[in-house]
Amino acid sequence: MLAEKNDVKLALVVDDSAMQCKVLSVLLKEQGYRVFTANDGARGVAMYVKYKPDLVLMDINMPIMNGYEAARKIKSLSQDNSLCPLIFITSMDTDKAFIECVDAGGDGILVRPFSPEVFKAKIKSIQRISDLYGQVKILQQEQQKDAELAEQLMSGVIEARNFSLDRIGIIKRPAALFSGDIQLTALSPNGDVNVMLGDFTGHGLRSSIGAIPLAETFRAMTKKGFSLFEIINQINQKLYNLLPADLFLAAGFASISSHDKSVYVFNAGLPDAYLFSEQGKIKHQISSSHPPIGVLPKLLPDSKLTIYGIEESDRMVLISDGIVEARNEQGEMFDFDRFEQAAIHGVINHTVSESVLKAVNDFCQAMPQEDDISLIDIPCGGWEHILVASQGITNISADQLDDIYISKDPAWHWQLTLSGKRLASINPIPMAMNQINEIEGHADHWQSLYSILTELFVNALDHGVLGLSSNLKANADGFSQYYKERELRLGNLEHGFIDLQISHYPLLKGGRVMIKIQDSGQGFDIKKYYEKRVNKPTNKLELSGRGIELVEQLCDSLDFQDNGKVVEASYVWAS
Amino acid sequence: MNVIKQVSEDKKNIEISIDGRFDFSLHQHFRDAYINCKEKNSMFTICLSKTTYMDSSALGMILLLKDHAENYSGKVVISKPSESVNKILEIAQFHRLLTIEL
Repeated sequence: MLAEKNDVKLALVVDDSAMQCKVLSVLLKEQGYRVFTANDGARGVAMYVKYKPDLVLMDINMPIMNGYEAARKIKSLSQDNSLCPLIFITSMDTDKAFIECVDAGGDGILVRPFSPEVFKAKIKSIQRISDLYGQVKILQQEQQKDAELAEQLMSGVIEARNFSLDRIGIIKRPAALFSGDIQLTALSPNGDVNVMLGDFTGHGLRSSIGAIPLAETFRAMTKKGFSLFEIINQINQKLYNLLPADLFLAAGFASISSHDKSVYVFNAGLPDAYLFSEQGKIKHQISSSHPPIGVLPKLLPDSKLTIYGIEESDRMVLISDGIVEARNEQGEMFDFDRFEQAAIHGVINHTVSESVLKAVNDFCQAMPQEDDISLIDIPCGGWEHILVASQGITNISADQLDDIYISKDPAWHWQLTLSGKRLASINPIPMAMNQINEIEGHADHWQSLYSILTELFVNALDHGVLGLSSNLKANADGFSQYYKERELRLGNLEHGFIDLQISHYPLLKGGRVMIKIQDSGQGFDIKKYYEKRVNKPTNKLELSGRGIELVEQLCDSLDFQDNGKVVEASYVWAS
Repeated sequence: MNVIKQVSEDKKNIEISIDGRFDFSLHQHFRDAYINCKEKNSMFTICLSKTTYMDSSALGMILLLKDHAENYSGKVVISKPSESVNKILEIAQFHRLLTIEL
């Protein structure tokens, strides 16, 4: 849209000859201008300030202040958002005069003598340029406003909802006002922390279109307890459908599971991600293994998360290419070596984001930033207490509630049996949670129920249907071997089933959920299992069995039946 | 001009070479180079041997060309990327989307 100038255009004529002033005034009036005149440069500048004209005609040789000087003053005074064209009127037809006029800021020159027709043509052409300039300025301002809006949306709506910003270090320095880089963090109901660093193609507003669906999907699915891989799959599908072919998202995803002592990583188009030890040793470097998100309708068939065992003190760091491609005045890139040095220094001193940002700044000095610079630094430990704090508040023992049952029959019952290949591809837990949320409404303590369901289902699948032994997980190496084997057996799964039943019994204040899971596996020696549990040294760090411990803490009863092929758990809460 | 186009006599082999930086500023030129090539079964070769740098919008432009080519049952090949450009293609795992001739 163009701002219309409904008022009459103003012209200022600066010439020491009263005669010349008069001639030019007449010609300008014929063009529809209202004209002011000044007889020397200084007075011309003063008039310019006072009337803010749309056009200035300037003589060169004048007393007090000559035309060049007056032109320089006027050009330095004129505001950015309006071009007031200035035309020199001169009888000096030399190259030198011409160059000086342009240097002084003149937008055109008319050499006397000229006919009225030439004069009018000149004014017309100069006015055209000035109109164009005005249009560009208005467009620029609108664009700026849009970018500010997008920026506000991004920081205020999308990123302000990130989880645990006090523990997760973030660098975010956009090249343009609005950054194509986006960082998301969210807590899953089982206490896993999901993080994502993404880099949309290009910069500015265009690269922001995908940000909202991305953030929504990432958050909603994490909250419902979908696995990271399912989340990535969904995001990929969504962005593929929504965005044009040349707009996509290079992204790194990590899910930190304190409970599994593992991190699950997926790098689709970002520079290497790093896992550092507390001492700053690079434990793993995770290269991109997939084209960016949103390029293909479906993730490539061999895509999978990489799993690494972690120590509590490890740190996971994701970066965007803006860091390694930052250039100094000599045109050298910051590159990986410098990044690693800065990051290692930062890991040791617990200042990863500060160290890296300082190193990039020191390296680039005054060079303008070409690309968004961003990083996420996540501690691998210390997340359990956050989950425990959000659970257990309402979890009480059923003994206290014995006499307040409303009914012996469940208010509702939900059942799902999965078999064969479906077992390998479907995660029934989010579906179960969906049922509970839809029937009973949202409650924070459903997180506990989620944990119970997940642990029991995974047990039934891993140890029951797939027949994996948790002895494999006795050490850190075995851990990854365990997951390899798991994946292999899942891929070949043809038979077997898991039956999942959930019954809800309302209590006067609160309720009880009974969970019954049956699997097609061999079962196990329940007696031996409990003996082993009782005799196990309490201070030894065990890599397996923590799942069942967690379930026991959260349930008021847990029973294995039918040689361990059936497990029944009761979860009770008070409201 | 940084985008140089060569077309074979049967119009089925289109070679597009990028000189210098391959970034968003070439968007229009790059698109102009292929948009009217509508022969069936065409072969589009993007020659990146003289390309010094490539950003993510360049990757996007290549994907647009791939879409265009596939609409006419054609193929896109990236030819001889320089070392630094190949690194970018590698990070984006483009060898899994189209052929890269080193």
